[in-house]
Amino acid sequence: MGLGSLALFVTGMWAMVLAVAAFLVAFVAPIGFYLFGSESSRATVSAVQATIAIVAVIALVFGLSRMKRIYLQKKLRL
Amino acid sequence: MVDVASLLIIYGVVVSAISFFAVFFMTPIAIKSLTAKGKVVPDAHKPNKPSVPRPAGPVLMAGIAAAEIVLYALTLNTAVLAVLLTTAIAFAIGYIDDNRVMPGWFKPVALLAAAIPLVVLGAHDNYLNLIFGSAFIPLLYIPLIFVIIPITGNTINSIDVLNGVASGFIIIATVPLLASIAIFGSDEVLFLAALPLLFAAIAFYKYHKFPSRIFPGDSGTLLLGAMYGALAIAGRSEIIGVIALLPAIMNSFLFLASVKRLVEHRQVKARPVTLLDDFKLVASEDRAAPATLVRLILADGPLGEKEIGYQIFKLAIFTALLAFASIAIQYIFWL
Repeated sequence: MGLGSLALFVTGMWAMVLAVAAFLVAFVAPIGFYLFGSESSRATVSAVQATIAIVAVIALVFGLSRMKRIYLQKKLRL
Repeated sequence: MVDVASLLIIYGVVVSAISFFAVFFMTPIAIKSLTAKGKVVPDAHKPNKPSVPRPAGPVLMAGIAAAEIVLYALTLNTAVLAVLLTTAIAFAIGYIDDNRVMPGWFKPVALLAAAIPLVVLGAHDNYLNLIFGSAFIPLLYIPLIFVIIPITGNTINSIDVLNGVASGFIIIATVPLLASIAIFGSDEVLFLAALPLLFAAIAFYKYHKFPSRIFPGDSGTLLLGAMYGALAIAGRSEIIGVIALLPAIMNSFLFLASVKRLVEHRQVKARPVTLLDDFKLVASEDRAAPATLVRLILADGPLGEKEIGYQIFKLAIFTALLAFASIAIQYIFWL
């Protein structure tokens, strides 16, 4: 076991970071076009994008926190 | 006539040599000077707790500053100045903490000031590289800088728990960061500006590795971490920089999630690890003790300080490989 389980945990963190990055690029970046068409104002689109990005990052932190809890329970019985 | 590529190589060799040799030759002087002044702390994990001089931050700062000032004089690139100022402010914050007992919130809050030069001197881009593409976030990017610098500064600070770990870790994490800056950075000068971080850390590791002859102190670790963050921002390598730093971020995240507030490690009563009679460390069984990277490494059984440091380096190398994999993915989407 040893470092292998920690490496697996870090790989999980990496995969989650990549998943959030992919989500932001695929869905949040072009959201102005989807929601407002060509009549969108830059400020409105930016505000919506910022809100979704912050929610995505908070979701990432919650995901990491859950992963951490499961890992700590297995590893340290906390 | 010297072409641009040759000039970059010459500048790279010059700044690397300045930072490396300045730290390499000044550190023994600092060891003697600090010891003579009685600026020493006990090395808690060794027999008889030998006194080790601290902080080495001023030496690291001098070596890095000399190299960056020469680079700025040669290129007049304001991003170099921004990185240097961010590093210097982080060093000053750490130096205050080295000499006075400050509350837990001091370092993260004060490090907000270290982000200011990057914003004021416009060292950042308006695009955030997100591996699979980039996002144009001119307004959101500025608060992001104020988040990144305190995080990188404090994560390197919080991983400085055993001999040689902070300097060794930053050496390993800086390699993929340099590669990313070279590929995705908008300016070759930023790659040159990152070299002093690597070479100063390599020179310092000679004295900081197990058994440490000097400790970096908060001034040393905060400047290394803040400079790393500043380079990631100015070099358009934010996410790659975060990935290479994952074990240190995980350590901070575990600690903060355990204690649920900003506190200094010395303020936490329940210790995450216990020192055995044979000077091996073992994971604490106290449920109130914070979870840390070292405690997780020790969950499988007791280890010596040197062995734990190598385990952390192995994990850092693994994460650096993940960062290189991320660079490869980003490169494919970038073409």
